[in-house]
Amino acid sequence: MTSPELELDGLRRRYGTVTALDGLTFGVPAGQVFGFLGPNGAGKTTAMRAIFGVAALDAGEIRWRGRPVGEAARRTFGYMPEERGLYPAMELSDQVEYFALLHGMDGPAAAAAASHWIGRLGLSGREATRIDALSHGNQQRAQLAVALVHDPELLVLDEPFSGLDPGGIDEMSTILKERAAAGVTVLFSSHQLDLVEDICEAVAIIHHGRLVVSGPVAELRRGDRPRLAVRVTGDIAAAWSAELGAASGTVDAVRADGTAEISITSVADSQAILDLARAAGPVEHFAYEDRSLSEVFRRATGASVGQAEAEHAAASMASGAMTGARR
Amino acid sequence: MSTDTISPAQPASGQGGSVRDGRALRMTWLVAHREIRLRAKTRVFVITTVIMLIAVALAVALPAILSGKSKPTRVGIVGGDTTTLSSIVTEAGRLSGGQAIAVPESSQAAAETALRSGDLGAVLVDGKEIIVKQVPLGGPSGAVASLAQLAGLSHLIQTVPGAASAVAHGVSLPVRGLETASTSLSSRLTGLFTVIVVWILISVYGSQIALGIGEEKSSRVIEVLLSSVRPTQLLIGKVLGIGLLALGQAVGMVIVFIIAGFASGSNLVHGATLGVVIAGGVFIVLGYAFYCTAFAAAGSLVSRQSDVNSTIMPVQLPLILAYALSYTVIYANGASKFYHVLGFLPPTAPIAMPVLYAAGDVPVWQVAVSALICAAGVVWMARIAVRIYANSILKTGPRISFRQAIRESRKA
Repeated sequence: MTSPELELDGLRRRYGTVTALDGLTFGVPAGQVFGFLGPNGAGKTTAMRAIFGVAALDAGEIRWRGRPVGEAARRTFGYMPEERGLYPAMELSDQVEYFALLHGMDGPAAAAAASHWIGRLGLSGREATRIDALSHGNQQRAQLAVALVHDPELLVLDEPFSGLDPGGIDEMSTILKERAAAGVTVLFSSHQLDLVEDICEAVAIIHHGRLVVSGPVAELRRGDRPRLAVRVTGDIAAAWSAELGAASGTVDAVRADGTAEISITSVADSQAILDLARAAGPVEHFAYEDRSLSEVFRRATGASVGQAEAEHAAASMASGAMTGARR
Repeated sequence: MSTDTISPAQPASGQGGSVRDGRALRMTWLVAHREIRLRAKTRVFVITTVIMLIAVALAVALPAILSGKSKPTRVGIVGGDTTTLSSIVTEAGRLSGGQAIAVPESSQAAAETALRSGDLGAVLVDGKEIIVKQVPLGGPSGAVASLAQLAGLSHLIQTVPGAASAVAHGVSLPVRGLETASTSLSSRLTGLFTVIVVWILISVYGSQIALGIGEEKSSRVIEVLLSSVRPTQLLIGKVLGIGLLALGQAVGMVIVFIIAGFASGSNLVHGATLGVVIAGGVFIVLGYAFYCTAFAAAGSLVSRQSDVNSTIMPVQLPLILAYALSYTVIYANGASKFYHVLGFLPPTAPIAMPVLYAAGDVPVWQVAVSALICAAGVVWMARIAVRIYANSILKTGPRISFRQAIRESRKA
């Protein structure tokens, strides 16, 4: 693999007693849709703000194409912050055009680009509508138009899928894939790990401000030990699997319908496992299965995403009394 | 997680300083331009501008029109050829666009008594001197000024042989006041006018700036903005844009003031009074720059727009003090030592100095010194404001106190 286009290297940031980033390091390859995943409070927003210089770092460096990110580079980035915001009283096309100008486009180019993205995002006819008169969904589209209007080389979107209905999620993922196909590097964050596993090619999963695991989604979901799902008719407790030798595989879990989830050591072991299952009764299900990304997270950290978020919520309740909640 | 501050701008690699400076100016202008475009379009702005201009025109022209119509100037004549001098008086009244009536008086003493009582507007003595009750600071105007010129010519032609050739140079009779000239009411009124304009512009546009910044913060558009614009550019651009609008209104009012003044023959536009208007203009700009950067910093401290008003109140206090006290200076003779001091402090000078000058309590050089001190104060305030702003604009949650903001901006 070629060296990543965007590199986050050893990022550290403390807010009082809270450590937001604790030596976070990962790279984003060019022209991919890259998911930046982790439970709420893992440090994703701080890291994304740091890319734009909006959050200060105690240590670490962010590089774009091998050089530290500066103002010139940032002008070629597009940003959709977690806390959405546009000028409420400004008309849609004025607003989108204004941000194009701020990113260095000249007047006619800014107007053309604004009109293009307003059309592309299905907002035609709303050009003269004030932002605060747009529906919630259309405000989200306007926010995306602002991030896209200057044709950025890097697109950074903080929780772009939060608050979207299934149709909106499809629409958003189509645009992200389309941008990546056009050569844009797309970095987006999400705390809903399983929701986005089909959308991105590669991910970095973080927890407590540190990288947990990163790589192509397909590799992460398969893992170093592939998973077999096996069900024997009538054996609701998967009792047959008790005789499974540790050498050929380990049972991770048994589902309510009696399906045993088995991590196997090598593909060659699968036939021995099938034989064992058939000896116990008729086998009605036998297949390789990918793990979900939230399971990848759980296997790596020992805690589920939900547990991690509950822990974060409790911690920020305690410190929030002093520093003020973020929202 | 609410304590983000903006990291110092990293120098962009591979770019010359002039390119960066040019870009910084362009960004600042883009921000300013948005403010102007957005605000100048609003109905509120258009209506208030029109109302302000009409108010100024009426304030200047009405008194002159009313006095010009109803009261002819009565000019007492002592000694000399009464017939000739009477016709000169009548002609002077006609030339000045009003009316003047010659009133023969038996003696100078009787004429001066009539002058003091207000029965006469001026007295022409022996055709070679004019006495009025008080010479206005800007010199005589209207019928008296015309009379001084006409009677002066007539006197010259009569007394000096061959003087007709000197006529081209023009000559006026000396105009003497019976009482020491205190500052005329017109100058004081102009001072009052200036103070009101400074007060209105700073409080109206200052709160607009604070509200605008509160809006950027509470709507969270600030985070998108800061991903491409520096806080300094945002702050200066906003103050500049709204400031140009305010300045446009102020210039419009001054132009209307001058045009309406000349057109109606008001003595408001003569001599010292015009100086008061100019001094007022300088201090409007200084006062605006001083307060509006402060208002911007105040606006960055709140998370909700509704908190803005309570935050800008303490910033406004010095201005309110100077404004309230200005009435005592305008309506009393002479300013207190305390008010003189206020005239040299940057927070109060924008109001106090034009008032002191209009009341005739300070010479021009002191106005200039005060303006320089004020300009230095503007630079100082702008630097502090930018630091407070950059520190506070991304902090959400409860309102940040001034003490906290200043302490943290020192650390940064």
